[in-house]
Amino acid sequence: MIERSNSIQRVAAFVMVIGTIFILAPLVIAFLTASRSYEEFVQAGGIEFSVGSHFVANIREILFETELPRQLINSFVISLLVAFIKCSFAFLATFALVFYQSRLNTLIFALTIATVMLPLELIVITTYQVVANVAMPLNWLLSILGIANLSEWIFGWRPEFQLSLLDTYIGVAAPIATSCTSVFIYRQFFLSLPQDLPKAATMDGAGPIRFMIDILLPLSWTPLVATFMFWFIGGWTSYLWPLVAASTPDAQPAIVGLAKMANADDETIPNVPLLMAGALFVSFIPVLLIAFMQRQIVQGLNLSEK
Amino acid sequence: MQALLYPKTYSFRRRPENILAACLLPRRESVVAQNFYKGRWSYTAFVAPILLLIGMFFYIPVFLSFFWSFFLERPFGGGSEFVGFQNYARILGDPEFWSAMRRTLLFMVIAPGLAIGVSLVLALAVNRGLRGSHAARNIIIWPKAVAGASIGVVFVFIFDPFLGVFQSINAIFPGLWNPRVDGTDAFITIVIAQIWNGIPFNFIILLSGLQTIPDTLTKAAAMDGAGPWRRIVDIELPLLTPQLFLTFVLEFVGTIVEAFGLIDTMTQGGPGGATNLLIYKIYSDGFKAYDLSGAATQTAILTIFVTVMVLLQFRLEKHVKYER
Repeated sequence: MIERSNSIQRVAAFVMVIGTIFILAPLVIAFLTASRSYEEFVQAGGIEFSVGSHFVANIREILFETELPRQLINSFVISLLVAFIKCSFAFLATFALVFYQSRLNTLIFALTIATVMLPLELIVITTYQVVANVAMPLNWLLSILGIANLSEWIFGWRPEFQLSLLDTYIGVAAPIATSCTSVFIYRQFFLSLPQDLPKAATMDGAGPIRFMIDILLPLSWTPLVATFMFWFIGGWTSYLWPLVAASTPDAQPAIVGLAKMANADDETIPNVPLLMAGALFVSFIPVLLIAFMQRQIVQGLNLSEK
Repeated sequence: MQALLYPKTYSFRRRPENILAACLLPRRESVVAQNFYKGRWSYTAFVAPILLLIGMFFYIPVFLSFFWSFFLERPFGGGSEFVGFQNYARILGDPEFWSAMRRTLLFMVIAPGLAIGVSLVLALAVNRGLRGSHAARNIIIWPKAVAGASIGVVFVFIFDPFLGVFQSINAIFPGLWNPRVDGTDAFITIVIAQIWNGIPFNFIILLSGLQTIPDTLTKAAAMDGAGPWRRIVDIELPLLTPQLFLTFVLEFVGTIVEAFGLIDTMTQGGPGGATNLLIYKIYSDGFKAYDLSGAATQTAILTIFVTVMVLLQFRLEKHVKYER
């Protein structure tokens, strides 16, 4: 800094320490509690600030006697799907919006922006109905065009299609992936590239698809990787939609499984150590990701300059 | 090489979040697009996937919620009947709806305000580059990776009147703290959990804003005799206005929906409906009471509310200076 000023440095250090403690406290308390057995916990009558010896035993119980490991795999697949759909669809669309000449550019861009304004959780009731029968728009189309009535009149059979995506990976992942924030991020990145890049590629005999795969894709690696990890974490932590879209334990992601475990416990004193172990178990993958890949994520999203 | 590939560095105004603002109200200058290629078929092939996806899982649900708000929908496919504005009259005449709305508004004022305030103080502290600020910065972003529902499970235990951190206080003053019975206490626990979960994103945005403030300005102010506290008030805060605005816009919409995971695992709307925010009410009306029309109508009302709020905020944004 410019001059040494002890008062502000001391306050800043104090604030930093307090902030870090506030962030870490719930995680530490969860770990300390997860390290005791149920009997110890009941005997102590609540929180104790020392490390017990039952952490491994609790994790083993989570691993072998609950549905969480299976649901962890569900979480993993769903989050990968969310991240993949978000990144690949947005990359293709943004490529077209930035590098193609079309009168539709503004309209399509506006349509994608609007999805950022309304989160999925707001429209969860009707999204559920759509995912419960994704053939619904087709049925509407048939009845509006009169094909449904025609078919009923000729064949005596009214076409009504029914296809439910509830309890499937894609049915849980696709609605989460509708928010098109990536379009902005990629658009900004593409616009920062040299204007003559596509022209130069054309001179060398590359068409738009070749340009996209061989030039644009390698250049965009940083924002692509960053958004992929960011949406992976976003998919992992989403709760309300997976809660309604996946009704069977086999299809639920781990966060939903943990919440069900917590809400189902009706004992006088719930098995808190096991729940805390579960909370740590369902969170460790994304937390490790954000702890070790933070620089890549923050830089790639261009949220930070340094 | 780096300079060759990226000749136009990201200037502050061209960052994605500002473009979000610029695009929703297209009055600021737009960035020149390259628009080089022509070709309808390949263009269609590139934009079709995303349009199909958002059409199917975003626009149809939004349309359906407005459509259904004019119909009385029977659960389990019992057919539907056009009722005009009766659903709206029923919802708007329901005191339950208004108290949920009031609680949502209260929550929307308190939680983002505190989350942004705390993040701002933390960002100012971390930005001073003290020893250990890298580690602190890394840790402060961790809650971004923890789902609201899973930290809710932890917080409900921490704040438990008999098992949690306040058990000793309760032993001395019985009943002083009991979120299981006292609505205000329950509301406070949700707010604290929401702040914990909301810090990282605001913190990243505010810290990145602080880091773009040119050194020369700080130096010039120091030469003019402004001390570090004075510089925070007169230089850093005014130059941070765009980021502060952005965090308010994002938090405002975010808190409406993000609280769901916390409410569902911590209080389930109770005690006595004290934490029954609109988002939770819609969920329980739709999926527990099977009142699909009522839930759709409330969705439509909340959708209008959010849209109006976002547009109003961008009107307000005219007063935000982006030039440096």
